Amino acid sequence: MIEVSTDWYLTLAAILFSIGFIGMMIRKNALIMFMCIELMLNSVNLTFITASRHFGTIEGQISVFFVLVVAAAEVVVGLAIIVSIFKKQSSASVDWLRASRG
Amino acid sequence: MEILLLAIVLLPLLTALGIKLVDKFINETLINFLTINSALLSFTIASGMFVLLTMEKFEPIHFTFFTWLTSPEILFEFTLDGLSGIMMVLVTGLSVVIQIFSTSYMSQDEHYSKYFIYFNVFVFSMLLLVMSGNFLVMFFGWELVGLSSYLLISFWSKKQSAAKAGNKAFILNRIGDFGFLVGLMLVLSIFGTFNYEKVFDEVLAGNEQSLDLIVICFIVGAFGKSAQFPLFSWLPDAMEGPTPASALIHAATMVTAGVFMLVRISPILQFSEIGKLIVITTGLLTALIAAFSAINQDDIKKVLAYSTISQLGFMFIAIGSGAYVAAIFHLVTHAFFKALLFLGAGAVIHEMHHEQNIHKMGNLKTRMPVTAAMMGIGTLAISGIPPLAGFWSKDEILASTFANGGIYYGFWALSLLAAFMTAFYMGRHWLLIFHKETQNDVTQVSEAPKTMLRPLILLGLFSIFIGFINTPFFHGVEKVLHETLHSVDITHLPEGISLIILAVISIGAGFTGLLLAYLIYIVDILSYFKVKVPLKKELKLLSANTLYLNKLGDLIFVRGLKLASRKIAVVVDGLMIDGLVNKTSSIFYNSSKRVSKSQTGLVRSYVVYFGLFMLLLIGLFIATPWMLN
Repeated sequence: MIEVSTDWYLTLAAILFSIGFIGMMIRKNALIMFMCIELMLNSVNLTFITASRHFGTIEGQISVFFVLVVAAAEVVVGLAIIVSIFKKQSSASVDWLRASRG
Repeated sequence: MEILLLAIVLLPLLTALGIKLVDKFINETLINFLTINSALLSFTIASGMFVLLTMEKFEPIHFTFFTWLTSPEILFEFTLDGLSGIMMVLVTGLSVVIQIFSTSYMSQDEHYSKYFIYFNVFVFSMLLLVMSGNFLVMFFGWELVGLSSYLLISFWSKKQSAAKAGNKAFILNRIGDFGFLVGLMLVLSIFGTFNYEKVFDEVLAGNEQSLDLIVICFIVGAFGKSAQFPLFSWLPDAMEGPTPASALIHAATMVTAGVFMLVRISPILQFSEIGKLIVITTGLLTALIAAFSAINQDDIKKVLAYSTISQLGFMFIAIGSGAYVAAIFHLVTHAFFKALLFLGAGAVIHEMHHEQNIHKMGNLKTRMPVTAAMMGIGTLAISGIPPLAGFWSKDEILASTFANGGIYYGFWALSLLAAFMTAFYMGRHWLLIFHKETQNDVTQVSEAPKTMLRPLILLGLFSIFIGFINTPFFHGVEKVLHETLHSVDITHLPEGISLIILAVISIGAGFTGLLLAYLIYIVDILSYFKVKVPLKKELKLLSANTLYLNKLGDLIFVRGLKLASRKIAVVVDGLMIDGLVNKTSSIFYNSSKRVSKSQTGLVRSYVVYFGLFMLLLIGLFIATPWMLN
């Protein structure tokens, strides 16, 4: 039986974070980008829990709860924004929103 | 007594203010009443003061109006001595006569009240100048006469030429005033006071050695105000002003301020040989150039203007040769006969309906006999025909110059030439206007009104008799000025037979000039004998254009400066200053435009930047401990 060490968890978290980050960079659908953000947040959560287990402390798990609460609140606001964008341009593409172009 | 002194100075100012306050509600008659009565009052007080002064043996009277500055202590003070007494009576007296003339000449002018306001302001400034007790008060009056002269020259400012002439007079006067101002600073820094007596006492005590610079500064000031070479070209242009104003300002009083000032500082001037030499050579040059130019002027007033410049040159010759009394004496007689000539010219212009070209006049003596006679008196007086006023003063100047000996014999000969030319052009002037048979229609011209004739007759009488105040038999002016000039080395007239010979020579010059004018312009002797004057046309042009000095000055100082300033404007202002400012702004504009390109507005690219910076941070995080070790 293979021992699932701390490194494995951390590697998984890094892969998940990279997928999320690359998704952010290459996709233009707001909904998908949102999912990528969630993916990145959760990979960070995984890192916290791994560290907590590795050092046998509780602080990492507490942080995860905070992150979860913030993510939930963020979903509420973010989805509302995405819906209103969709209503305006009947597409969730963020490339239309270039008002801050220099 | 002191308060009366103040009254003389302030009366004209109060009159000007009074007329200004009520001029909306009063008509010409009331203005006449106000201004002439105030002038008469002023003259009466001035004469009374002069009589008092005579009884006090011309002991100077000082009066401090108020303390102007405390450190260094400068008082607003007046001095009444023989010199300022003469000027005071002269200014107020002529002001009365000329204002009476003006009431007729300026009648129906749309700015009638404005004219008398300016006139009174001028009289006030002139009185301030002559009665000043220190250099700063004199400068105050000096600038104010410049201002009121400017206002009166460009009185008819709707005429472009009048406005320009006013500017020219003002600007050329500034050059002289600059000299005066520098002189003032030197006086304050060397002597620590402006008071005449204190300064003169210092000088006479022999404590100061470097007086040349101060004297030259004041001389430059005098040249500007008294229209001496090379600052004289404003005076002929100043004839754009109303003729009575020209008579008072640009003939009788203001232009003699330079002469007055040099006589005032004569205790300093006498120690500066170079200063005296500058004064006499410039005076001589001016007298000759102006007399030469006057010969071919066509404007009735311009002839008189050049003649004024030339006579002022005579006064400077007198000062340069140390004959201060003769200078003041000539100033007085000149004031009378030149005011007479100007007012006569004014009467002619008025009756000719503002025609000023003397070639369009002629044989006016049948139409205006009284004016012609009075102008004739003026002409004889200025030509130096005895026993009229001009003879005594001009002869005194010539004789005093001669009395100095040495190089002054040459100066005397040249002055005599100028005197001869004076007689010649004045003879031409009178003959062309009043005597020459002409085809011009002058039948419509009639004699001037009484308000013009009476001042003329009065001035005519003075022009005949005023010369007797200072003859070789009765030194009136010298007695008056004795106290003022007690510390000054005055050149006295030669004695005995040489004086008589000199007088005969100068009378001869006067008569020859007049006779030559008669022969050339009436008998037309040149074409009768078919005499060919070599270079006649060129000489005529040279004379009519004042040796082209005006054009030369225009070329150098007006066009040259304009060109240079335009070049400087293009190079310094346009290229350097504007270039710097514009370049700075365009650098910022362009660079910020480039930087703002990176703001694409795409969320993705921001994520990329974010990621890159994160990588950078991680890289730093890893690299830092490695680098430190």
